[in-house]
This record gives sequence, C-alpha cells and structure tokens, in this order.
Amino acid sequence: MLPIQRSLYIRNRGSLNPFCLSSFLTLITRGKRTKANKNGSDISPQMQRVVTQLSVMSARKKQPKMLKLSNEDLIKHQTIETAWSIYQDKLNGQRTSKLKKQYFAIEEAMNKLRQINPKLFDKCNIDESGKIFPMELRIPTDYPPREIWHYNYTPKKE
Amino acid sequence: MATKVPQTIRAALILARSPIVVPDLTKFESQYIKYKYELEKRLMWTFPAYYYFKKGTMSEYKFQIAQKKPISKQPGVWYPQGIPDIRHGRERSTKQEVIIPKDENPANDTSISRPVVKNSIITKADESNDTTSLERQLRKTLYLLVKIKPNDEWKFPSFEVNSDYALHEVAESGLRDIGGSKINTWTVSRKPVKVLKDKNDESLEFFIKSRILTGEFVPKMKDIEFKWLTRDEIKDFVKKDYYDNTEFLLDK
Repeated sequence: MLPIQRSLYIRNRGSLNPFCLSSFLTLITRGKRTKANKNGSDISPQMQRVVTQLSVMSARKKQPKMLKLSNEDLIKHQTIETAWSIYQDKLNGQRTSKLKKQYFAIEEAMNKLRQINPKLFDKCNIDESGKIFPMELRIPTDYPPREIWHYNYTPKKE
Repeated sequence: MATKVPQTIRAALILARSPIVVPDLTKFESQYIKYKYELEKRLMWTFPAYYYFKKGTMSEYKFQIAQKKPISKQPGVWYPQGIPDIRHGRERSTKQEVIIPKDENPANDTSISRPVVKNSIITKADESNDTTSLERQLRKTLYLLVKIKPNDEWKFPSFEVNSDYALHEVAESGLRDIGGSKINTWTVSRKPVKVLKDKNDESLEFFIKSRILTGEFVPKMKDIEFKWLTRDEIKDFVKKDYYDNTEFLLDK
C-alpha cells in the first residue's frame, strides 16, 4: 500500500465523516495509471520523444571501436594516400597545361583579329562577366534519363 | 612594314553535345573509392533503428528479421576473432551492414522505396554506330563535323564573315542556314578560341565554341553530310594538321 493511501486509511478509520470519504475518493484518483507512467518511467511521451531524438545525435553507445592499424597496415594506408595525391597532381598538371594552351590560343586569335579587323575585334571584346548557364543545360548523371534527347525544339519568335 | 592584304575571315563553330552520363572511372579510381568507402563504413556510427522504427510495429519486426545478428558474448567461451562487443545490436569492431527488407513481389511494388531500374548506357545508336545520332557515346562529348560538298573535307562548320555582324552571330546563323532553325544552342563566348590559316586561299578561320542544348541538326541541302563524333573519332576523319591544331580545344 502506498504511504499516502495508508495515511488516508488511518485518518478515515477514526471518524465516519462523509466529507472525509468524499475527500478520500478524490484523492485516490492520484494513483491512477496514465499513459505517462504506464511503462514505469516518469517522463511524458513528448519528453521521451525529445530524449530519443537527442540520443540519435549523440555519440554515446553508437561509436565503433577505434581503428588500430598495425605498422604494416599503416604503411599500406599511407602508400594508397600518396598514390592518390600523385595521381591528382598529374591530373591537375594536365588540366593546367591544357588551359594554358587554350588561353594562349585565345590571346593569339584576339591579337590577330585586332590587326586585321579592329571593328570585328571590338564586337568580340565585350565583357561577358555575369553571363549565366542556360536552364536547359544538363548535368551528367550516373545513368541516362528515359528520354535521352529532346528533339522537338521550336525557336521563340521575336 | 608588310603591305596589308585584305584577308577573308571565316567563323567556324565548334558545336558540342555535353556528356549525358558521367565519365567512366579508371581502375585505380574505382579501387581508391572502394577503399575509402569501406574505411568510412568501418568508422561509421551505429544506425539508430529505434528512431526510424517504432517499437512493436510490423515494420520494426520486418527490419529486425532482415538483419544479420552478430555473435554475442557468452561466459566461458573462447572467441578467436576477439571478444564480441555489441552495442545496439552492432559489433563495434567491424562495419555495420544495414539490410533493407525487400518485398516479396517487386514487380507489383509501386512504393517510393522500390528498387530503381537503371537505363542502359549503351543505346541503339551505339549498337548500330549511327554517327548522325545525338544519343551515341553518352559518356563523352560529341562534336559536329560537316561536309558541305561531296568532295570537301570533313570540318567543323565554317562560314564567311561579310557583314558587320560579330563572329559568333555569323557562326550561329550560318549553322541555322545549313542545319535548320530547330536547334537550340548556347554560345560559350563571343571571343574566338583559335585562329587557323587556310593554306589554300590564305583565309583566316576563327573558332567559336558553342553547345547544343535541345533540337537537332537536320541538313537543309541534299549534299550536306554531318557526323556527331567524339574527340578520338575526329582524328580519323580530319587531316592530321587540322586535328593537331584543334585537339586541345576539345574535351574527352
């Protein structure tokens, strides 16, 4: 028996006052089983939800064991990483040399155009900063779309 | 100073179709990516299944049934692979494999989680090697080569500049004169990317870069031939000199 109930029981035994009985009945509802205390925990379902959401973000109990590499494994890992960075350097070098070549080709073409036709040069040499990519330009994906190419295009009439 | 000879100017158009599918990975790239992926999986936190599946529901049951259970620690047992250390149903010393339960009838499945059916990267045009098709070689950039007259050489479309129009306007309108107006292109820049001197008539050819977005090239005249080719294929169709001078402008 709960201590609060026992004390009420003792108090009620002393007198048979009906007012005391009614107060006893109202007090006994405090022991009712509700949704909050059904599972034995004292927090409300709303609070429980917050606790679950926080536990999703916390590292406690979810972190794996630390990765301990042997000397040999460590050397393997470092070799792989070095090979990758060398490969990336190679790609970057190729890209840079190609861009340089393209830049000098543009420079040569523009200089030539200035020599032979300054009027045409002025038309080409307009600053185009702020130019944006068109909406229709597709980004490459891992797999092709169902309709690979849109053929029916009709130009807008101006 | 040399006397100025009035030279004819031509505007050539390098019209490209961008790749539709990402490029193939090299063997080294795919091996490195797999290595990093496995490393990341090993170091990943445990999947909080209790957050995604409500306790006591059917979906939680199906999920739990589909998972592979790790070996649990029992008293008095010798474990050669190391003593199991399980938290939230995951062996902490290895990667966690989360298995998504599958439906029995995948054909009837219309839910959003149904498996994705991937389209083939090799198209009909690839199989028949139809070089006039834009749906070929999806991983690579295609370039338009034309042959105006039967005896001409294969070239990027090139047009003479007579009027006061800028180079890119001449090139784009010239393309529509030979290939119809139902083509949607985007000029990369007004500036020419390369100048080439023609050996025969001393004319100067300025190259303009452009990209096709939608529509197609439909030759307006009977004699015009055209091909959509990758950089490596162009090598076999144009003169070596011409290829060497334009190769660095093209993408893989």
